[in-house]
Amino acid sequence: MKLVIVVQRYGADINGGAELHARYVAERLATHADVRVLTTCARDYVTWRNEWPPGEEIVHGIPVERFAVTRERDTIDFRDRSERLFRDRHSVKDELDWLDSQGPTSPTLMKRLARVADECDFVILFSIRYGPAFHGARLAAHKAVLVPTAERESSLGLSIFPPVFRGVRAIMYNSFEERAMITALSSNADTPGVVVGIGSQIPDAVDPERARRTFDLPNPYLIYVGRIDVNKGCADLFRHFIEYAERTTRALDLVLIGTPVLPIPDHPRIRHLGFVADQDKFDAIAGAEALVMPSPYESLSMVALEAWALGRPVLASARCDVLVGQCLRSNAGLYYEDAREFAAALDRILSDPALAATLGRNGRAFFTRHYSWPVIERKYLDMFDELRRTPASSDMEPLPGWLARRARTSPPAADVVNALPQGPVVERQHAEHR
Amino acid sequence: MAEQNPQHGRRQHFHRGRRGQDRRGNERRGPSPAQSPEQGGREHRDHVDVEQIMREIRSRISQRHGIELTTQQIQELAARRLEAILDPRTVKPSLLEQIRRSTTTPVDAPAAAEPAYSFEDTTLYDSHRGSLRFIRRLLNPLLKLFFNPNPLISALNAQTKLNQAAAQREAERDRRQAEWNALHYEILHRLVLEVSRTSLEAQQLSMRVDALSAKVDFAERRARSIEGSLHQARPSPRHESAPPPASVAQLPREPSTTESSSTPAAQESSTGEGGRRRRRRRRGRRPQGFTPEGAAIGAGAAVVESRTTEGGEPPYVDDADDDEGPDAGDEGEAFDASLSPVEPASASQAEVGPEPEPPVQPAQALAPAEAPLETQAESAPNEPADRPLPTEPFGD
Repeated sequence: MKLVIVVQRYGADINGGAELHARYVAERLATHADVRVLTTCARDYVTWRNEWPPGEEIVHGIPVERFAVTRERDTIDFRDRSERLFRDRHSVKDELDWLDSQGPTSPTLMKRLARVADECDFVILFSIRYGPAFHGARLAAHKAVLVPTAERESSLGLSIFPPVFRGVRAIMYNSFEERAMITALSSNADTPGVVVGIGSQIPDAVDPERARRTFDLPNPYLIYVGRIDVNKGCADLFRHFIEYAERTTRALDLVLIGTPVLPIPDHPRIRHLGFVADQDKFDAIAGAEALVMPSPYESLSMVALEAWALGRPVLASARCDVLVGQCLRSNAGLYYEDAREFAAALDRILSDPALAATLGRNGRAFFTRHYSWPVIERKYLDMFDELRRTPASSDMEPLPGWLARRARTSPPAADVVNALPQGPVVERQHAEHR
Repeated sequence: MAEQNPQHGRRQHFHRGRRGQDRRGNERRGPSPAQSPEQGGREHRDHVDVEQIMREIRSRISQRHGIELTTQQIQELAARRLEAILDPRTVKPSLLEQIRRSTTTPVDAPAAAEPAYSFEDTTLYDSHRGSLRFIRRLLNPLLKLFFNPNPLISALNAQTKLNQAAAQREAERDRRQAEWNALHYEILHRLVLEVSRTSLEAQQLSMRVDALSAKVDFAERRARSIEGSLHQARPSPRHESAPPPASVAQLPREPSTTESSSTPAAQESSTGEGGRRRRRRRRGRRPQGFTPEGAAIGAGAAVVESRTTEGGEPPYVDDADDDEGPDAGDEGEAFDASLSPVEPASASQAEVGPEPEPPVQPAQALAPAEAPLETQAESAPNEPADRPLPTEPFGD
């Protein structure tokens, strides 16, 4: 079986969610199929500057073909277009221009995909919001298996996306919430789809004591791993934690791992370790009382899964449907909406070691049951088998013609997303697992 | 607070209606059967239900705080109150908005006042054409033969400087005014915020008082019913004294016939002022006998009671009144009512009840029947002061 993976960036040192997801999937499926990756020369997801040379290279045993991006992102133009599309009525052409403005745009990548699509069995495309996945899905619709990695953000409400969700061969969702959202958005119930998610490469042995010694962590601590950013809910986390620290007598620290985009408060109980090696990260997570995940927008939190894999409970933001859904389905984490709930849930975990241990055990079982690599590989392979057996049901709907493309008929994207149903999905998952 | 809700404007849950209290947001915070920590602890040894834990957490938070508003919501509330205070009919909304903006943006230092014009000694002869400027300068001595332009030049020059100074002063005044405005707005805003917080707190306290008084009422009713059950357990003193044991055995049936008329409302209406007076007295005395502390005091109360009985008022009157209500304690009063053929001459007589039998000596009447009660009252001081209530406490 020949598989082509299309993703906007690819590299051993790329740690972005979808890109890491793509790399893991490529490396895992390489044991079952002949996998080739088509990507751009960009390393930075903001500028899309060509930093790798075009051509073919091998990354962790996977052949990777890189293609140049034609132009870097003009951030001001992109911001203005985004605001207009999210707020006002607009045309399909506006949306396509927005997609180009966002980048990365690589016509050579598309030409190459058009050629190899006929030679391979399936094309797996990552992240619908980027040009390579969107145009690639339209180009190779009859073989396209989409991994949308869609979050509840305004861009999802653009009218160019639903036809793609309906027209690809299959969709590999990251979560039940994502599937429910996309189904509600595009009425694509006929499109085969399965909730897969992503595994993680958990080391065989972790040593919390090593992390305590290395980073001088004498007190119990709550840990956050990821980009320290307002968009990730870190500002709220700081506020909640400082408020909690002022009220409690517990000696609890907040340990942060990741690159700061947001200024970190100068507080004696907040420790920033910076960017650390994977082993250190896992050691630190294993030694934490709980992992906190304040992000309101996650299509799947790999860090939360890693914490569960290590048997640690998770304290998640209740504003993120996916995280709440995972906490409920796994019975392995608590969630909070505001500072009081944050404090109460944290107190509950800290004051009841038996509860924390049970949550951790549940998390480990949840991870093993749904997110271990054999399970994920099996879901991909089963989907490929199913697609091979059944012919494509329908073609991709074409884009509107010249005139219709310019008609300002598309509603504000933010309104579309706001109108989508929300909330964690619990019963559906249970039924499916039964 | 809809604006504060991150889910504002979004549709309901996928499984709306399916999960009942498990819905998101405020709906999920509705009252739910609280689980005791022991139950929770026992439960999570084997199984953890995150949803249940979150319900408990939210329930506890709402119980602890009554009205639950986030800081942001309180600020929103304060902002609305502030707008109400600054009546839009008298204050321009744009002005309010301007002041609000000025509190968030730093007040810029005034730009150096640009002179409206400058006037130097060459200004009179200035021109953008060089040739004309040259001719004017050439003819300047000739011009000065006709009049002296120097005073004019110096006056206008001084005026320029005055204008600049005035503009600077004006700019400085504006800056200070902006700062003051911002400060005043900030102070006002904070005051309103504090007032909002305080009023919310007062509201919470008032709700708490309501809740506590409801508990007290409940406790009183509970105590009354316990008291009634005690009365049920022993025969009435008056029945003991006069009728034979066989008729005493029939007595419990009598209250059932008069029970409907012996409800508190009925008694209030039938006994009128006397009933109210009895209720007041009861309220003063009841806790003494039914709380550990009251039991201790109850001994003293028993003495007072016995003094009262010596004064001619049979002791069962108070006991019967205490049992006012549909419980078994109505027995005494119902008995009185059913046996009163004539209008009572006075409230005290009504309380005593004009019994057809000859008035018995209080001590005699008490002797056989009141013994358990007296024993209870007298033995109370000997009991430990922290003796638990007969039933589970009604408190938190």
